[in-house]
Amino acid sequence: MPVVTTILLNNMKRRAFIEKSFLSAALLFLRPAGLIAAWNEKFFQQGSIEQAFLNVLGTKTPEKTNRITLTAPAVASDSSAVPVEIHTDIKADMLYLFVEKNLTPLVFSCSLHGGSIPWFGLNIKMKESSLLYGVVREGGKYYAASVHVDVLAQAC
Amino acid sequence: MRILAKEENGIVSVKAIISHPNESGSRKDESGNLVPAHFIKEGFVSLNGQPLLDLQFGASVSKDPFLQFKFTGKKGDRLSLRFTDSMSQEFSAEAAVI
Repeated sequence: MPVVTTILLNNMKRRAFIEKSFLSAALLFLRPAGLIAAWNEKFFQQGSIEQAFLNVLGTKTPEKTNRITLTAPAVASDSSAVPVEIHTDIKADMLYLFVEKNLTPLVFSCSLHGGSIPWFGLNIKMKESSLLYGVVREGGKYYAASVHVDVLAQAC
Repeated sequence: MRILAKEENGIVSVKAIISHPNESGSRKDESGNLVPAHFIKEGFVSLNGQPLLDLQFGASVSKDPFLQFKFTGKKGDRLSLRFTDSMSQEFSAEAAVI
């Protein structure tokens, strides 16, 4: 009789295991396929630009480079829609835009896959006149370029 | 959402506009009350079913977010964009490269 009990128990364990496996597989499918990295609360915390660099990049001092082109108006008459473009000839797999004086300095992070070109444009809000930092990642290293934008009318 | 994806010399330039209030949560209305935060947080772009861009946004993107990006591609390629905002609303659209 103990033999039968063992077999029964083993069957039950196996069934439980199979059920669990199916459940986790189903949960994996429920996750939206594309959103691999969920929105990162820590990236978008309020604080200084140094703290934002540290939170997002893991370093306060990304290496300066002239291989990133950051295009923005020198003077922005409407700070609620400042057009900014970032592009680079560095073979980047990540792009970031930071505004030093905004409440939350990181504006966006962009992870590049497949045939995407390291080029991104976005209209952004600025709290006040500030430096903008474009940061890119290549081989786990971070490179940065900055540009200053003067804001005339405040809107945020 | 409006998408325009144009190919030239093997490079596709995309412009996309999402109709959205994109409130940062730090703006005050006429009577001095804070307008609650309501902004696009995540974006996902795929090309012919393959991932192209994964995006995360903070609160300082303008109202009616206007995005531009580029990739190597050809006419007829299928582009799919999907965004999620801070109130878990989803916005998605597809377009063919012209």
